[in-house]
Amino acid sequence: MSKRIRTEVRKGRGGLDRMSGSSAELTVNTGDLMLQAEMQKEIHQLVELLKQHNLTEVELERHGVRIRLRRETASTAPVLTVAEPARASQVVSVPQPQTPATGETAGMVTIRSPIVGTFYRAPAADADPYVEEGDSVKKGQVLCIVEAMKLMNEIESEVDGRIVSILAESTKPVEYGQPLFLIDPAPAT
Amino acid sequence: MFKKILIANRGEIALRVIRACRELGIKTIAIHSEVDANALHVRAAEERVCVGPADDALSYRNIPNVLSAAEITGAEAIHPGYGFLAENAHFAEVCESIGVKFIGPTSENIATMGDKAKAREIMVRRGIPVLPGSPGELRSEQDALNAAQKIGFPVIIKASAGGGGRGMRVANKEDELVRAFHAAQTEAKSTFGNESVYLERYFLEPRHIEVQILADERGRVVSLGERDCSIQRRYQKLVEETPSPVVDDRLRREMGRTAVEAVKAAHYRNAGTVEFLLDKDNHFYFMEVNARIQVEHPVTEMVTGIDLIKEQIRIAAGMPLAYRQQDIQITGHSFECRINAECPEKFTPCPGVVTCYRPPGGPGVRVDSAMESQATVVSNYDSLIAKLITHGQNREEAMARMRRALDEFVIEGIKTTIPLHRRIFNDAEFQKGRVSTGFLERFLTNGSG
Repeated sequence: MSKRIRTEVRKGRGGLDRMSGSSAELTVNTGDLMLQAEMQKEIHQLVELLKQHNLTEVELERHGVRIRLRRETASTAPVLTVAEPARASQVVSVPQPQTPATGETAGMVTIRSPIVGTFYRAPAADADPYVEEGDSVKKGQVLCIVEAMKLMNEIESEVDGRIVSILAESTKPVEYGQPLFLIDPAPAT
Repeated sequence: MFKKILIANRGEIALRVIRACRELGIKTIAIHSEVDANALHVRAAEERVCVGPADDALSYRNIPNVLSAAEITGAEAIHPGYGFLAENAHFAEVCESIGVKFIGPTSENIATMGDKAKAREIMVRRGIPVLPGSPGELRSEQDALNAAQKIGFPVIIKASAGGGGRGMRVANKEDELVRAFHAAQTEAKSTFGNESVYLERYFLEPRHIEVQILADERGRVVSLGERDCSIQRRYQKLVEETPSPVVDDRLRREMGRTAVEAVKAAHYRNAGTVEFLLDKDNHFYFMEVNARIQVEHPVTEMVTGIDLIKEQIRIAAGMPLAYRQQDIQITGHSFECRINAECPEKFTPCPGVVTCYRPPGGPGVRVDSAMESQATVVSNYDSLIAKLITHGQNREEAMARMRRALDEFVIEGIKTTIPLHRRIFNDAEFQKGRVSTGFLERFLTNGSG
């Protein structure tokens, strides 16, 4: 009897077609380390295929292992299901090494949206953005606006530091918990 | 007809609504909390929005986030399911004010029906039989005493804003009344934030019979038969069936007419359920109106062939009811078992990972569930993980199918109430249809009804 093991490839919140500041995190639940390494490679190839040809679903089967990568909508992370013959499963986290790590790396602080709404980088259409990449920011400084139901909510920085990257796109919807900024915090004095 | 609907719920009911939308060609938006990111209802929808952390007050019941999710996705309507925001009059009102259609009754319907004392008053004025009880809210101990003496003991004191069995106290004699009054008020205050209580005659072994109705926006109403929900534990339903084994055609017509009358008296819209209490002499008394689609709606769907969720959507879209009362036919018999992730001995929630989930199939078997293998039952939400529904040409066949389906149903990795349901369906008294609301408690204490 085959055992279904769920694996996810998260591409940040930008989706496959919006690669700005997105990262991939790969968690593979399987007891076989060799299978992990091979599957990683396979999975990356599938991700490339999906992107290049703008596909919705790609499936690959080999040696009794089936890998399926499905893109659900433009704004969600694709979900990957891996069906494997019965094996004792151990949870092993394999961080994705290849794409530049713009996800949560050690020490970085991710500012996430606390509400659902529309993300704006500037206070008005013709105004300058609150912050740019590379800017120094202070704790409490307004970084952006998330507008919900005609109310403009100012999102503040939680730390002193430097903006490493801007993870959301201005005028686009954001959900609760969606990463907005990556900040390299200033060392504590 | 709507092009996009946001489902403000999770689990099996969210999936249920998504299925109806699919059949109607309506695009769906699922909302979810962080812990539900991989849930089946989310993957089943075309779009998804995370609305908050696990705590449902901050996510599923977070009105600003839910409405914002509707705004950013362009949802034209919201289906609230049951629980969460389904009977939140304020939420329904805000939806109305921002131009998003709330699929259900009006906010005024919800507010009125949610005030149990007020609802009773409306019914009394209309001449609908209500449970003998206080005319309205009890404002003092003296009020309670006067009402109880008029109505006759035993009495039960209930929270006006209440439900789910909380804020209720029974007084068998006069000297128990004052204590019951204060205890009920205190619990009402702490559970519902409102200490208003009223009083009713208490029946020891009543049957809980509820009638499903549909009302369109022109005020046309039909009733779709009754459901017998007498198998309850601490006022939580476990098994429901339709038709009720003790309701004959004449009584059904009478209760149906009364339910329609009650709903018209309240200018009620969309789907709703009128709850009655049936005493040993088959007198029925109005209890309350549930202003929402209910958990047990599938059994009505099985015997009428009518998809209640689609009807809700159609009514909300302004379409007139496609059925007249004479078009509603009840065919056969149906049961539903609510399968909860609970330890069978203590009924405490039993969260965990479902290592194997294999629902039953075959003729006359329906499973409404968002559970799947390798999914995690989280502890943050209610413990209902699946509804097992059967239908048969008659009560015996529907029961036999339920016994078979309960035997086939595999859920491993967590404890469920399936063993309890098996015992219920193998019980002689239950099989004869001779059960009232006291059945299950006795069954659990003695091991038999």
